[in-house]
Amino acid sequence: MTNSSIIDREHLAAFADGELSPEDAAAVVMHLADHPEDQAFVDEVMAANIALARAFHAPLQEPVPDRFTALILPETAAQEAVAARVLPFRAKAKPRLWGAGLIGGAMALAAGLAAMAILPGAAPGLSVGPVAAASALHQILTATPSGEVVDFGGLGNLTILASLPATDGFCREFEVISPDALQLQVGLACRAGSAWTVDVLLAEALVSDPAASGNYVPASGGDVPTIDTWLERRGAGLTLSPAEEAAAMAQGWMP
Amino acid sequence: MTDPFPERTFRTDLIALVPKLRRFALSLTGNRQDADDLVQGACEKALKNWAQFQPGSRMDSWMYRIVQTLWLDDRRRHKVRGTAIDPEDAYLSDEGKAASLPEDRLMLEKVRAAMLTLPEGQREVLALIAIEGQSYRGAAETLNVPVGTVMSRLSRARENLLPRLGLAEGRRQ
Repeated sequence: MTNSSIIDREHLAAFADGELSPEDAAAVVMHLADHPEDQAFVDEVMAANIALARAFHAPLQEPVPDRFTALILPETAAQEAVAARVLPFRAKAKPRLWGAGLIGGAMALAAGLAAMAILPGAAPGLSVGPVAAASALHQILTATPSGEVVDFGGLGNLTILASLPATDGFCREFEVISPDALQLQVGLACRAGSAWTVDVLLAEALVSDPAASGNYVPASGGDVPTIDTWLERRGAGLTLSPAEEAAAMAQGWMP
Repeated sequence: MTDPFPERTFRTDLIALVPKLRRFALSLTGNRQDADDLVQGACEKALKNWAQFQPGSRMDSWMYRIVQTLWLDDRRRHKVRGTAIDPEDAYLSDEGKAASLPEDRLMLEKVRAAMLTLPEGQREVLALIAIEGQSYRGAAETLNVPVGTVMSRLSRARENLLPRLGLAEGRRQ
């Protein structure tokens, strides 16, 4: 080694920081073998890097505090709050909102755009009974994976909560949060053949507002039916995993 | 292919960065409360200006820069008001999360206190490189300064910091 007797400290630090090319790093390694004082400096820099990384490591081990979720993903935070309040009328807690962390703000998904086009103003887009094949709801039930938030026109945001196998086909549980976030509806739609039917809609005022329940079965307070009653009638089984749901969707929900 | 839901992507990417942003902010401010307030302010700013973020570029660098700029602004305002951060008063403990042995814990306390004594420019560079693992070039881009400036601040930071840590004493020979 001709000129390796002096390597300045910046270069040694760059070596410790992993900034050198493999060739330059190899040259430094050769140099260090003969220069214990430089080796000592490199060791010290590396030890300090490790100590610094450890000294401030705590936030990486903690869950993201609520204040940041509420700020960055307000919809997810609101849904989690809603889920907490809704729990009483869902006797069997289901694995819901897969990948809730992936749900973004109030963005219209492709199906949501269709919903807005088909649901003018206050048209009743959601009612018990057969779902028209050309409707936005049909589209959403057929093609939207669970956990994805869909802009359901003037009715708010719709999220499919779960898909389940049933005797004649499949059922999908969904919820709709009204645009003012005052009302939650939970529904069950089941498919037999090529048509979806909404079996039941349960409504709950998220803030106490007795006028909000309208024509729907109130979902909270007292002795009320639950989605599970309808699931049992359909002979529904266990909630499908995301992979199973994707497979069912790919096969056009044929049993 | 363009992302059909850019704001949603932005928000989900941002929430995934929060732990690293909190760590970076903690290494700058030295206490949890100020660090989280700083990250909150930076996220608010980022959400307001999300459309300016270039998809495909490094969001961590973009966010580190917002955090760093806000932090400097805060520091200037504090200086004008005449309040200074006293390392003795700052809440530095992590309740032993990072270290179990007492002497190890003491050393990490020492590291945190030493970090607070560094001038802003040196602290930023050291935090980005030693703690956040950025390259010299990455840190230069984050801070919008030449790589040479990063290197000279880094060596000055180490000249200040290393003697305080006493890491050289424990070695044989």
